Amino acid sequence: MLYDFLKDYATILIFLFISIGIGVGFIFLNLLFSPNNPDSEKLSAYECGFEAFGDARMKFDVRFYLVAILFIIFDLEVAFLFPWAVSLGNIGLLGFWSMMFFLLILTVGFVYEWKKGALDWE
Amino acid sequence: MNNIEFIYPELFLIISLLILLILGVYKSNSYNFIKKITTICFLLCIPIVYLNNIGDFNIFNNSYSVDSLSNYLKILILLSTVFSLMFTNDYIKIQKLDKFEYPILILSAVIGMFLMVSSNDLIGLYLGIELQSLSLYVLASIDRGSEKSTEAGVKYFVLGALSSGLFLYGCSLLYGFSGSTNYYEISEVFKQDTSIPILFGIIFIIIGLAFKISAVPFHMWSPDVYQGSPTSVTSFFALAPKIAGLGAIIRILYICFGEIYEEWKSIIIFISVASMLLGAFAAIGQTNLKRLMAYSSISHIGYVLAALTVGNRDGVISAISYLNIYIIMMISSFACILFFKRKNVYFENIYDLSGLSKNHPLISFCFATTLFSLAGIPPLAGFFAKFYVFKSVVEANMIYLAIIGLIASVISAFYYLRIVKIMYFDPENEKFDEGSNIGIRFSILFSSIIIIFYFLNPSSILYYVEMATKFLN
Amino acid sequence: MIDVGLGHYLGLGAVIFTIGVVGIFLNRKNVIVLLMSIELILIAVNINLVSFSVYQQDIVGQVFTMFVLTVAAAEAAIGLAILVVFFRNKGSIHVDDINNLKG
Repeated sequence: MLYDFLKDYATILIFLFISIGIGVGFIFLNLLFSPNNPDSEKLSAYECGFEAFGDARMKFDVRFYLVAILFIIFDLEVAFLFPWAVSLGNIGLLGFWSMMFFLLILTVGFVYEWKKGALDWE
Repeated sequence: MNNIEFIYPELFLIISLLILLILGVYKSNSYNFIKKITTICFLLCIPIVYLNNIGDFNIFNNSYSVDSLSNYLKILILLSTVFSLMFTNDYIKIQKLDKFEYPILILSAVIGMFLMVSSNDLIGLYLGIELQSLSLYVLASIDRGSEKSTEAGVKYFVLGALSSGLFLYGCSLLYGFSGSTNYYEISEVFKQDTSIPILFGIIFIIIGLAFKISAVPFHMWSPDVYQGSPTSVTSFFALAPKIAGLGAIIRILYICFGEIYEEWKSIIIFISVASMLLGAFAAIGQTNLKRLMAYSSISHIGYVLAALTVGNRDGVISAISYLNIYIIMMISSFACILFFKRKNVYFENIYDLSGLSKNHPLISFCFATTLFSLAGIPPLAGFFAKFYVFKSVVEANMIYLAIIGLIASVISAFYYLRIVKIMYFDPENEKFDEGSNIGIRFSILFSSIIIIFYFLNPSSILYYVEMATKFLN
Repeated sequence: MIDVGLGHYLGLGAVIFTIGVVGIFLNRKNVIVLLMSIELILIAVNINLVSFSVYQQDIVGQVFTMFVLTVAAAEAAIGLAILVVFFRNKGSIHVDDINNLKG
């Protein structure tokens, strides 16, 4: 029984092995055949025209987080809008006005954050 | 039934929140203005709730109940919030917390609490809890420049979010095995059978709610958060969220889990005993007043839960009466704590109070009375609160619970009396500022008078609570 | 032939939930990891709710999931905001550095 169950997933397993094989294979092929004579310029991080200052793991500007946070909130209102739009025929006037009230709340929040300057980059 | 008219109080608060938010952001330096309007909104909401109290209704397909119990708790929440806005006015200005978002966050937390005490459905309860806690997380870290306040915010956030996660996991199990999120429908299912997965669900839900009211063993956030947040926020934490959390617990235990009293009884007994004892023992070594109040409120929550273990209407009545008196004592003690300032610096160590009685006889008398009452010494209000609880516990043949409660209150009397000793018998310090605002003085006097003269009519609160819980049988 | 049934989904949910809870208590490095663990717990809850909802042919579970998803986003937003303020004061988001308040 367990065998049958696993057989259904055999294709996925084979797919997994092949993809790992290809991925690892290319790295090894590179190591084998590519010319390899490093110098300090080649090993440094790419930066156009000037010396690199810091590595790729540097800290992000916190403003990116801020924009992302604000985006998430407004992004997720759609999670309510879609079911509402689909079932609009069945939920009557109360349903319609409930969503309008919800959008009003969102708009008030938006006005607040705009006025507070959360959307300004500088 | 889809009756909008039953939720006028909530709608009123939500609409005033929206208007106030817009007003506040367009007006510069709007703290004073917004704070006054918010207080007026809370005060106006009390008659709205009161006029709404015309019977017991379940609206929105039984998912929201507007009944005498929820209305009673709502009025209690509104009153305690008004008090905590009133006596924290000076503190907020001196500590430069006077941003207009402060009262608005309190307003939104209160809306969440309204949802918590009224909700008759797990979804509604979850949304209420989250609306309340998200506002409280921000309130805890409202002092953006202070390391302590932001750290309190981080701690409160992480543990609060964990507790909501546990609560939700319980909800999902309960929903899965009973097929509904509505309290009435779930209790119908319980009439037929109680299987193990449902018990898991109940345990997770109780853990989540115990976190919110900081009952042992889920209390570890509360001393840190009480100490770290600004005192004005701490005073709010000690008042309204406890009412809302207990309202939610009473509703879920008595309506949703009413059929399986035997199952949750032992859990609540354990939580209550642990809270009473830990609150009493852990406070002994504390020298910070706010931390001490945190442990004190943990142990008081233990007494309220002890009353709830009785499992009938008597237990609810004594639990809510206890809660009522607890709120009055907390108003008094935090108003006193906010009085202790010298040249715009606030003091929160118990040794700063040394010799207080020589400089401020009236304040130290009121504070001492409050502490005696917290310890449960007759004839003050706190004694009657404990008396109600012990009476209903003993009537339910759980004498051991009453004995543990008595031991805990004897132990906790030690640290309350130590503060009294420091105030009355230690060498005197410099004077505290006299010019504190009318709000603090009014709160202290008002609550002290109730505490002292409660014995004249000790059944008054019982009468109102009995009216409020009539629909529980 | 084994059908993937309710039990498997609940098992997955329980495993993810446990990873989340253990992640909160064992993590000693970074507060961001705590936020991720909390998200894991909520994801486990969502898996539970959706699978129960499908299993019982009852839509309420999916409605609940919608609410949990949106509230989780708001929670993450507020958590990150508090964390940013904490970082500005303390200069670190190491879990061991959250140690000012104790007693």
